[in-house]
Amino acid sequence: MDGANLTRGDALRVESISKAFGGLKVFHDVNFTMPAGGLLGVIGPNGAGKTTMINIISGRLPPSSGRVMLGDTRVDSQPVYSNAGRGLVRSFQQTATFNDNSIEDNLLSAIRFSGKDRSVLERLAVLLEKFGLVENWRRDANLLPYGLQKMLGLTMALATEPRMLLLDEPAAGLEKSERGNIDDYIAFAQTEFNCGVLLVEHDMDLIKRLCPQVIVLDGGKLIAEGAPGEVLARKDVIDAYLGGSDEEDDHAQHS
Amino acid sequence: MSNATVSRLLERRSPFFSGYEWVTLALVLATFAVPFLTVNPQIMSQTNLILIAATAALGVYIMLRMDLMSFAVPSFMAIGGYTVAILSIRLGITDVFVLAAAAFIVPALLAIPLGWLILRLKGVYFVLVTFVLTEIVQLLLFEAAPLTGGANGLVGMPAVKIFGFELWDNSHVLLTTAGLAFTGFLITAIFTRRYRYEFAAIEKNDVLAESLGLACWKYKALAFAVAAGVSGLAGFALVNMLMTAHPTSFAPMSSVNYITYTIVGGKASILGTLVGAILLVSATDYFALSGELSPGLYGLLIIVVTLVAKGGVIGMLTKTVQRLRGRNGGGLTNPKPALAEGKS
Repeated sequence: MDGANLTRGDALRVESISKAFGGLKVFHDVNFTMPAGGLLGVIGPNGAGKTTMINIISGRLPPSSGRVMLGDTRVDSQPVYSNAGRGLVRSFQQTATFNDNSIEDNLLSAIRFSGKDRSVLERLAVLLEKFGLVENWRRDANLLPYGLQKMLGLTMALATEPRMLLLDEPAAGLEKSERGNIDDYIAFAQTEFNCGVLLVEHDMDLIKRLCPQVIVLDGGKLIAEGAPGEVLARKDVIDAYLGGSDEEDDHAQHS
Repeated sequence: MSNATVSRLLERRSPFFSGYEWVTLALVLATFAVPFLTVNPQIMSQTNLILIAATAALGVYIMLRMDLMSFAVPSFMAIGGYTVAILSIRLGITDVFVLAAAAFIVPALLAIPLGWLILRLKGVYFVLVTFVLTEIVQLLLFEAAPLTGGANGLVGMPAVKIFGFELWDNSHVLLTTAGLAFTGFLITAIFTRRYRYEFAAIEKNDVLAESLGLACWKYKALAFAVAAGVSGLAGFALVNMLMTAHPTSFAPMSSVNYITYTIVGGKASILGTLVGAILLVSATDYFALSGELSPGLYGLLIIVVTLVAKGGVIGMLTKTVQRLRGRNGGGLTNPKPALAEGKS
């Protein structure tokens, strides 16, 4: 990939986002920017609203105030499928595939729904083989081991040729031995697709390994941002991680 | 190396129609031969009833592709049937092609604003609202007397014509029904196969489908309109057979029958809808010989089939065939069982 391609695409700007469910305030005035093709880690204790942030950026939930811009386009409160068409594509925390459909049909569905061409699969061939998806090509997605279902879901997101990926805890539930797949996946998304990646993750080793920048969400606020090494050493960040409640669930996820 | 592997994997494309579609279309086509093989009015009338029931049940089959159980079939049958009755009695239009087009298009167009209202509902709420719709349409048929003839219905429909030739006797009526049924089955087969990936995705996980770029509401609205159109064709066949459009022909409770045909036959394939209609319409006729016991026997049959064969008759047969072949692949000639059969 040449240098010019690496800066292609649009930056994602989250501007003064607030979100309340009835009396429950989830966010208050959250701002951050992610450069085109960049990689930004999002961390925070359970219940900090990380999945809600992905839901707002992808268009699934409207913010109470503020806006999200992808380049010059406002993407919050837009239909999720329109945003996917713009290249803003999310993954899900739990496995999310079309049950009773083979790996092949799942991938072809992703290609079809995003209006892309089957030749994308040839671009993805390296990943498909590495993750073990090729050898299970005609098995139904729901019959695959958890880790493989997860990688299938992530690969489907990539089969839409996204410009900006919103990854919701891609490593959650994976065996230690499988976590390297996430490194490969993100590196591939960035080099092969020049794709920006917003990475919500609890695996701090992964965050430190991959992300040049992280932001920390806690109690509905952005409490820190910077390089993972410094941010994770800060006392308020450490304190934030010692408390917490359960992260909200997502309807698309099936366990 | 790996590019070659993936290309090779993709070489095996699934055929547009599975074996189920071919068998179903062949069976419906075969009914054109019935008037030439027999003059028995009983057989002709049974065939007529089965074809109308099966075509009506296609409206249920189409919506079940997206896991939506629709009770709206009698509503759209009524709209199609009354459209034909009004055109032929009031305006003297008797050309079968014009009438068939109207019987499809009018309900399909009306389904679009209705769909906009009710397709945002899921599960039991969708079921309830479609059922209420049949009650509303029933009420309108009685109340809008100047247009619909109210409780008298619209009687004395002239015989329809094909290329100027009058289709007036029993065998002609059956041929008209067979033509309408075949049209309905062909439209349904093409439509459900053309968008099988979209429908399967909406059925399995619509949130994921949207996140990949699928505008689910467009496909739901399109399916609702096509289901309404096909129901309209069944409505045409029904009023043509009775030579009368009457509200009782489109009773709200008849929607239960159409759902039952689809489930008992096997909701996963179009063949199930046809087989369900054949079995249950015949059973109704057969049990009628037992007089008062008839509804009970009919109910018992439904309970037994749903208990013994969860995938319906066709689901059970497919499983048996697969077991005999000793492999977990293809039902009939279809190499892609997942998309052909859906979940049982």
